[in-house]
Order: sequence, then C-alpha cells, then structure tokens
Amino acid sequence: MMKSDYIFIAGKRDEKRVSSRVLEDTIHQHVKRGNKKLEIQAFGQHGIGGRLWESYPDKMDIRIIGHSGQRTGSLGTPNTRIEIMGPASDDIGWLNAGAEIIVHGSASNGAMNGAAQGKVYVGGSIGARGMTMTKRNPRFEPPELWVLGAAGDYFGEFMAGGIAVICGLNAADPEQLLGYRPLVGMVGGKVFVRGEVKSYSDKDAKEVDLDDQEWEWLIQGLKTFLKKIKQPTLINELAVRKHWRLIEAKSPQEKAEGPDRKSMSWYRDQIWDAELGRGGLIGDLQETEKGTVPVITKGEYRRYIPVWEHGKYISPCQASCPTGIPVQQRWAMIRTDNIDEAISMGLEYSPFPATVCGHLCPSPCMASCTRNLSYMSPINVRLLGQAAQNIKPPKPAKASGKKVAVIGGGPGGLSVAWQLTMKGHTATVFEAGQAIAGKISAVIPESRIPADTLNAEIERINSYIKDIRLGEKVDAKKFNEIKNSHDYVVVAAGGNKPRSLPIKGAERALFANDFLEKAKANKIKPGKKIVIIGAGNVGCDVATEAHRLGAVDITLIDVQKPAAFGKERDDAEKCGAQFRWPVFTKEINSQGIKLESGELLPANTVVISIGDVPDLSFLGEGIELERGFVKVDETGRSSDEKVFAIGDAVGPGLITNAIGAGRRTAIVIDQLLNGQAPDVGSLAPMIDTRRINLTYYNPRHDPNTLEACGDDCASCGNCKDCGICVAVCPEGAISRQEKATGFEYVVDESKCIGCGFCKGACPCGVWELIPNTPLA
Amino acid sequence: MSSNRSLEPSSLSLNDLPWQIEYNNDRCTLCGQCTAVCPVHAIALHPFQKRILKTSVGKNAEQSNEYDTFYGIRQDTRVENACIGCAMCTLVCPNDAIRPKKNPSLDRMKFHINQHGIPRRRGGRRNDSGSILDRIKFTRISMLTDPALDAGRHEFEMRTLLGRVLSPRENMKQLREKGWIPPVREIYPLIIGGMSFGALSPTMWEGLQMGVAYLNEEMGMPVRICTGEGGCPPRLLRSRFLKYVILQIASGYFGWDEIIHAIPHMKEDPCAIEIKYGQGAKPGDGGLLMWHKVNKLIAAIRGVPQGVSLPSPPTHQTQYSIEESVAKMILSMSMAWGFRVPVYPKISASSTSLAVMNNLTRNEYAAGLAIDGEDGGTGAAYAVSMDHMGHPIASCVRDNYLNLTALGKQNEVPIFAGGGIGKNGNIAANAAALIMLGASGVQIGKYVMQAAAGCVGTEEDRCNVCNLGICPKGITSQDPRLYRRLDPEDVAQRVVDIFVSFDTQLKKIVAPLGRSTSLPIGMSDALGIDDKNIADRLSIKYVV
Repeated sequence: MMKSDYIFIAGKRDEKRVSSRVLEDTIHQHVKRGNKKLEIQAFGQHGIGGRLWESYPDKMDIRIIGHSGQRTGSLGTPNTRIEIMGPASDDIGWLNAGAEIIVHGSASNGAMNGAAQGKVYVGGSIGARGMTMTKRNPRFEPPELWVLGAAGDYFGEFMAGGIAVICGLNAADPEQLLGYRPLVGMVGGKVFVRGEVKSYSDKDAKEVDLDDQEWEWLIQGLKTFLKKIKQPTLINELAVRKHWRLIEAKSPQEKAEGPDRKSMSWYRDQIWDAELGRGGLIGDLQETEKGTVPVITKGEYRRYIPVWEHGKYISPCQASCPTGIPVQQRWAMIRTDNIDEAISMGLEYSPFPATVCGHLCPSPCMASCTRNLSYMSPINVRLLGQAAQNIKPPKPAKASGKKVAVIGGGPGGLSVAWQLTMKGHTATVFEAGQAIAGKISAVIPESRIPADTLNAEIERINSYIKDIRLGEKVDAKKFNEIKNSHDYVVVAAGGNKPRSLPIKGAERALFANDFLEKAKANKIKPGKKIVIIGAGNVGCDVATEAHRLGAVDITLIDVQKPAAFGKERDDAEKCGAQFRWPVFTKEINSQGIKLESGELLPANTVVISIGDVPDLSFLGEGIELERGFVKVDETGRSSDEKVFAIGDAVGPGLITNAIGAGRRTAIVIDQLLNGQAPDVGSLAPMIDTRRINLTYYNPRHDPNTLEACGDDCASCGNCKDCGICVAVCPEGAISRQEKATGFEYVVDESKCIGCGFCKGACPCGVWELIPNTPLA
Repeated sequence: MSSNRSLEPSSLSLNDLPWQIEYNNDRCTLCGQCTAVCPVHAIALHPFQKRILKTSVGKNAEQSNEYDTFYGIRQDTRVENACIGCAMCTLVCPNDAIRPKKNPSLDRMKFHINQHGIPRRRGGRRNDSGSILDRIKFTRISMLTDPALDAGRHEFEMRTLLGRVLSPRENMKQLREKGWIPPVREIYPLIIGGMSFGALSPTMWEGLQMGVAYLNEEMGMPVRICTGEGGCPPRLLRSRFLKYVILQIASGYFGWDEIIHAIPHMKEDPCAIEIKYGQGAKPGDGGLLMWHKVNKLIAAIRGVPQGVSLPSPPTHQTQYSIEESVAKMILSMSMAWGFRVPVYPKISASSTSLAVMNNLTRNEYAAGLAIDGEDGGTGAAYAVSMDHMGHPIASCVRDNYLNLTALGKQNEVPIFAGGGIGKNGNIAANAAALIMLGASGVQIGKYVMQAAAGCVGTEEDRCNVCNLGICPKGITSQDPRLYRRLDPEDVAQRVVDIFVSFDTQLKKIVAPLGRSTSLPIGMSDALGIDDKNIADRLSIKYVV
C-alpha cells in the first residue's frame, strides 16, 4: 500500500464521529479540489463513495478503512472505484450506476440492490436479498456482482438484469448456495453458481446449459475478480467447468406456460384411478364410459326423441260422435279420392246416415271440431251424411242362423237389427205401430227432414232387414214367448209414454208427441194461442208445427233456462215463439194456464212437452228397472242375461245416442253368439287439441264441398301425409316409408337431435317428443 | 293458441314471464339446436301465419288476400315450461339469434308457481345479490412499517386449525399427565362445503374430490372437502384420499352403514366429522333430494328405494335439547374413530347460535362450530325458506367470535363460516373479511359450482333448477346424458385453478396487513365499512 498516494480523511474528530452529512461534504470538497485518491477512515457513515460525478472525466479512487456504513457507493458513478478494506454493511452498491466496488470481506444484506451498472466484487459471502431489483440498461454494460462465498436468503428477487457470479467457496450450506427462496420474480439477467442450488423459483427462472462463450466469459471474469480481491491462486479451484451452473430468467412466453405441473389427466390416470381402482370413484358401482357427451346429441344420448303417433289418439269429432263414426277417417278417404268409400262408410255405422247425420243430428262432431278453436267454420259432416241417401248397404255376412228379437222399430231398434243383419244374424223387429223409424217418421216435422230422404232410407232398411213386423204389440206374455224363441232380445221400445204434470187440469193439455203426430197428419187445429210447457227442442217442434197450422201467439214456458238449441230453436223463433222462464204452472183451465204468480197465460191449446218415459210394463217382474228405465251395464245388458236394452228405454237421449247404443249392443251380442266374452272395446283417448296447428288454413275459407272439407280438415291426430316434417327436420332425419299396412314416417336416430321441430311444425299433432329411455 | 279459448287465472302472456326469449327470425337458420338443448322445453318451433293483402282503389282493381306460412322459435307461456334464463340456447346458437332476457318489470309468474297447491321449490340461492361482505374494506395497510409484506415475494403460511386447541397451560398439563389432547388438523382455510353425492352429479363430485386430492398431493395445499349428507362412495372411504375429506352426518343418516362398514378398512382417518344441524339456505328445514335424482346409483349409496323423494327431518330425531344434541352426537362420532378425529357441528346462522356456541365451549370434545349464513346454497328447498328464512353470516360470526373472546376462548374453538362467500365473485375478499371478523376458515359451495363447473345460477333467479335433475351443465343431474357433459378432469383442474388463484388473492389482502405466518383471525381493526350502523354492529371501523 502506497500511503502517500491517498489523502486521508478521518471519520472521527475530537473523538467524535463525523456525521454522514459532514463527511459527504468533506469528500466532495476534496473532489472539487482535484484530489483523485482518498482514504477514508469510516465509522459507519452512510453512502460513502457514491455520487462523485464532479470528478469527471477523471477517475476517483476511494479506499475505506474501518467500518463502512450502509449503502457504501450508493448512486455510484462510472468514474468511481471503491475498495473496502474489510467487510461491507447493508446495500453495498445500492442503485449503482457504474462504480466498481471491491469488498475484502463479506457484505451484509441487500448487496447491489437496485443497481443498473457497475461491478461489485465481494471477497466473502453476502447476506439476504443480494442482487435484488437489479436492472439492465442497453446503453451501458450490465451490472455485475461477484461473490467468493455464498448468497443469503431471497437472493435475486425481482432481478431484471445484470450478472451475478456466486463461487460458493466455504459456503455455510453447500446444498443451497443462493439461500432460501432465491430468484422470486426474476425477469432478466443471469446467475452463475458454482455448486448446488436446491431450489429456486422455477416459476421465474430456469437452468440453462453453460456454453463455451459463457464459460470463456466466466473464466476471464474470475481471473479479474480474484485479482481484485487479491486471491488469484484460487483460480484453479474455481475454474472447473462442470462445477458451474447457469440460471436465467424465463421468457414471458415460458412464464405464461406456467410452472411444470403434472397434468390432471396424468394425475387421474396414475394417482387417482390407481388408488381407487379402474373407473375411479364409482367404478365399482357402475360402468361409466369415460369422456364427455356433447351438448347437442344424436342417437341414444338424445334427451328427448320424436315419435310418430299416427292414430294413437282419436280426433275430437270421432270422440264426440255418439254413434261412434270415425268421422275424420272419412275425410282422409276423400283426400285420397276414395269418395264412394267415405260415403258408404256411414252405412256401416248407421242405418240412417242421410236422415240423422245429414239432417236431424245436432252434429256434436261439428261442435267439437278443432277448427272452432280458431273461429274457423267446422268441417261440414252433413254433406257426407246427405250424400249417403241413395247408396247401397254393405253386403251381410254369411247367415249364422242365430236369432235376435228387437222390440221396437225406432232408430235404436233398427240400428241393432241393421248391425246384426250385417253380421249375418237374423233380426226380427217387433214394432207396435204401423211404421218404422219411430219418432223420426211419426213426430218430427217435415221441415226438419225431407220426406224423400227419410223414405229412401226407410226403404233401404226394409229391404235390408228382412223380418220387420208392424202392429205387433208386445205384452208380458208375448215378451216371454219372444225371449224363449230367440237367442237374445233387445228392448228398444223407446220413450213412448209422455211425462205429465201433477197439476190441476193437466188432462186439458195435449202431450207433445200426440200433438206432433196429429199435426204431421194435418189432423189438428191449435187455434191462435198456444202455450207449450217445456221449452226443449221437442217443444220448439210443437211451436213450429203450431205456427204452420195457424197459431200466431206461441209461448214456450219453462221452470229453468230453455234447453232448446240449434235449428229447432231457430225455427221456433222465426215463427215468433216467445220463451219465458222461470215460470211455474199452477193449473190449466179453460182459458189457458194459470201461473203460481197469479198471472194467466191465455191459450186455445196447451201442450205438455217435458219429455217421455218408456212404458216397460211388458217386461214383467224379472228385469230390474231404475227410475222407470231399464237398468243396464255398459254393454246394454239388463239384469236378465238374455235381454238387452237401448235408447230411450234406458234413458233419454238423442237419436244418434240410440243408434250408437244399438251398434254397440249388436257388437256385444255378435260376440256372445260367437262364444266370445263381451267387449265393447274402448276408443283411444281424444287428442289434446293444443297439438293441432291451424295456422296452415285460410281462416276466411268456409269449406262447402266434400273436396274442400277434406282439404280443410285438420286431421287431428292422424297423419295427413303432407311431408312437412320431412321438409322441416334440420338434420334430414325423417323419411316417409311405404309399409304393408300403409305409409309411415320414420326417424333415423343416428341423425335426429331431438329438437322437436317435427312436433312443432306438424299440422295434425301426430308428432310427439317424449323423454328417451333412461340410461343407467 | 286458439283465438276463442277462455282465460284461466294462470293464463300468462310473454310479458308476465320472468325470462323472455329474444329471438331474431332474420338470423335464425332453423337448425333446431336451441330447442334440442332447452332443459325445460320453453321454446319450440312454431308455424306462423302471414297475411298478405294487396289492395287498390283503382277502377277494376283486383283485391288480393293471401295467406302464407313461416317458421320461427316460439316461447311457451305455460308456467311449467317457463324459461329459466339458463341461456343454453344462446350457447348453442350458431347464429346468435336467440337469448333469454330478464323481464325488467316484476314478473307475474311468481303468483302462479303454486299450481295444485304446491308452493315453489327450487335449487340455488336467495334471490338477493346484495352482500355486506362485498362492502367491507381492508383499511389497515402497512407500507413503511415492518413487516410490509409482498404477496408475490414472501412465503406465507395460509393455514388454519380445525379442532379444539387447548390453552398452552392445559396442553402442557395433558402432555405431562399423558392425558387426552384433542385432535387438531392444520388445513387450508378455504374449505369446499358439504354438497352431497346425489345433490351433485357423479362427475361433479368426482371432479371436486380429484381436484382436492391434486391440491394436496401436487401443490402442497391441505385443502379439505366435506361430503354433505348422502354417504360417500365405498372406494373413497377405503382410499388414502379420505384424509382430505370431512364426512358429514345429518338428520337423514343416509349412507352411514357404508361408512361403518368401511371404518375397519380405512387407510386414513377422515379429516373431521361435520354434524349438520342446519343449512343457511333453508334454516329449520331438512335436506331434500327430489325423486328426479334418486336413480339406481344414488339409491344404492344412500340405502333407499329408487325414485322416491328423500327429505331429511329438520332436526335430528331423538334429540331434544342443545345440550343433548351436542353431547350425544359429538361423543358418538368421536368414539367411532377413537377420539382421533375432530367432530364439530354445523348450524345455520341464527339469532340463537350463541346458545350453541356457549354449549360447545363447555364440551371438551367439540372441535369447532361451522355456521352457515342465509346466502348459502341448496340443491332443493321451498323458495320461501330460501328467500325469507335465515340470518346474515357476518354479524353471526362476529357475535360468536366476540362471545368467545369474552370467555377467553377465541383461540380454542374455531368458527367456520359459510353462506354467500364469493356470491358476486369476490371470494378472497369475502373470505378475508369473515376471517378478520373471527372465522378460522370459510366454506364455499355455490362458488365452486360456478367457477369449477360453469353453473349459470344467479341471484336473479337464473336457472336454479338443481332440484329437478335437469341441470344443463350436468352439475346437479343424475342423468348420464347431462352429467356426462362434465368431465371430472376439467372440474378438478378448475378446482386447482380456483384455489391457487384464491391463495394469491388472499395473500394480496393479508400481506399489506403485515400477516404472513398466521391467518389474521379476528383482526377486525383492519376492517372498515361505509355505513355507521353496520360498523357499530360488527365493531369495525366506520370509513367514508
């Protein structure tokens, strides 16, 4: 040491430590005076040797003896060289911008913290947080930290540039030369380490190969370093390439990839399933395929599947027809040009298609027509009925030789006999009157049923049912004879006994049926004023006929809201009939009707029209009655096994009810005659009309020909074979196929996604979307 | 709809529905995906009629009136088919032509979801997105003082203790006298709360368990998950993963025979036993697994017939007082594992919870208390229970914690808080707030379903059909067609993501408070809120 070269600056005066501010001032005065070499006797003063930019362009040489304080050489400049002749305190080379600092001993925490240039050579180890926050400015050489020993904890945190060389000589923990948790947040720079680094932040840094160029740089640097710290002989010990490793910051791309974690599929396969067994958590309880099911699925993974429910439900028209005519099938026949078949089908169900379907029936089928739901006119079934007036009946089946007696030749009785004849049995009709068709021919006015229509159908019936006996009154004795000489007896005697009122003067009144029968034969004069007790449809017929026969003041009274409806009521109203209710009759006298209110309704004629009850006195004791009607089961069978009963003998109803009951009873009798168990069968349930789409029809169109009716019929529940579903299916999964039993629409489940478009678009409500079969 | 139909009281129009389908006919390609995916058949293809009038007043003009048909997607207005807003249609639509929109005005359907006299039941949560926890701020920030910690740089011990912690004096005494020291587990403070095998689909349940196991074994995070009440698959009971599992026993006692059979074969003790007395979402009401979800597998694991609804009684039968309940159940469960496993009750937050807590402090076997607040979720409950019953979690935890401090036992009986943590996505902040109010850890349920499996449920009454087994994401369904939409591996990966990210967030909160080596349990001086009444009620700072 050439003492004379350096100007000595004491850090203590008069046994008192010079403050950091005063020592700084002293150093700067020397720099200004041009002194280039200073030896400072330090007593822990802060930041010695930093900020010596005033010496430019000359170099400054600072030698520190004693205890150098914190942040020695902080904010150091490139023209400064500092040599600390012993150990250094915290933050050596803090924010170093170019100074060279040599420490002949160890340095404590924070060495090189925040440095961007300059070099710090430490001839021992360093404390915690060395080389942290260091930078690299491309306009200058990077900062370098050379450490002979090891680094303390948290080395290189947030290191953004620069080079650290840790030689690891005499390290306290040879396994971990960079201390605890080094290089957290490192984004730049590199670290050469001679020896082990058990762990570092692998999220931020990675070990790379030490290539020849790096090695050459390191050897040259080591030689310089050892020379600076005056230990050149260590070069041989340190310069063993295989002892060195190089750690660099990861690139942002590498960081983005994340730390080297095991993949979850590896974990599942190698650890999870290995511990639990094949199939994982519940592999022992159920077989589950691996892998996911897509959101839109085909085949068995569809949650819902479409079904072509053609014919599964019956249409409202069929469901509401008391006769049980499959109305809608007839329109389907019309659509396929089988017009004759459609018309003649009526005769398979009724002997009176034209009379009843075409004229007299209030047509519940039309009232229930789905088209009404959108205020479209219902499909006019009367056209079909009327068209049947002159067609031939179906050919009867082979004669069975069985005999069935039918008591009563009204619509119900003729229906049974018609059906039994069709099935090959011999039906004998016993009619008390002189004409068949009961009330249709006897009491219903001609205004409601054209005579030629009725006559044509009666003629057809007469030619079809061979044994119709007119004027055959049946009493108890005769009934027994009939019963004994026939396989079965059907009582279809009708409601031929009018109901009366228990009031004074009731005998002055006429019963409606008597009035109508006389009126039809023009054998009665009702006078100007007529009062009809009972404002039902029969009462309306009385009113209409009375009007025809000269009555002008026509009143229908009832105890409740009049039940009359439809054409009968319209006709009565056209005749000026007045409806009054609720009114209660007290007595009938010569002037008319006296009401309980005291009011007198003057009348020339009073007609009681409150319904009919059957006269069943001929049945004798053996057959159970209920409130004056024959008690029957659902097949029409009475308490006597051989005796059936239908129509008004069983309870009041429409003509169509009697015809339907006759048909069903004939089916049952046929089954019994063939030795089968009686089964009237049950119709399929009626379709939910919300399934029908009426948007395809012109709401202003009133179909008035058979063809137009066929087209406009919504074909509820029965496929119209329009092919809209085929067109609408987004996957092309539906096709029409011709089968032996007819056509069918079929879904290819390998294409179908279960969207339900077929259901949504179907005009007839044939497609349904149902839950797929549950998977285990 | 037919034009001459009659009105019924529950005839609703689109305007009355809570969710309305916005549909763009021009963009729609009629591919059928939306109707195929809709879980409730709220939409269907429909033919529409279009009337084309061409008229003129000119002389000899021909007036023309034609009808045409076009197709589009139509929303059903029947109550049973009302759109639930899940937006699966939007998810699958290739043309962005359809989406459900919340009815901005008060929907009228509320008045009609009680057809046949059955009040509304649903899954999900309370329909209220408000959160006191979201409003709590962490106001005590260390910057210059040491330790000012750095969440990215420092190492943290984010761990909590589950179990009865004896006072140092008592602990030393027991050690000296070779007495009984209660079992204590060091676990991660974010716990996946009880969601049963049955309430959740098998894929979801397995995914959660797998994710938890991965966190433990690959990430070194001692995360725990509670089974909920529905038993536990036999394989899990016999695996080493059982140590990550808190077994729950509730009033239905479903699946406990399997657990008993497995005890002699257990490789590990379970982490703990949770005795469920109440659920925050439906306090005072028992568990409910509706029949839709009780398939063969669930029936087998629970030991019940298939296809029946499984209600649990609102209370444990044969127990008639807090003292009896706590004493009997805790002792029975402790005995099952030779007093090696912590046993604690879970109750719904209630103004009566202090009574339970006081009782626990006097029961040496009680390992802690879990409290579930009103914002908790459920797989199935009556809407009225969900929406109107219950107690907020914050003040309940606070009251219990302050009560413990008054008894000098705040470090001895840990409180675990649940219900609405992360309901608006702020899971770490909510968890930290509860911890600083006095919870030793928090339990999450809905959050993990939303974050790990994409549950679309919201407090706006979106979806929430967990009870019906038709979960469009496959989270709460027992139908393979639905639950196989979910891959357990993906769920597990998301669980890992959630916990790792939560960990960073929690550190970002506690580091500035200067805490890194222990959770800031009860560190309420760090909390502030901009409402004087709440601040007073919770004994935290009022900051504006």
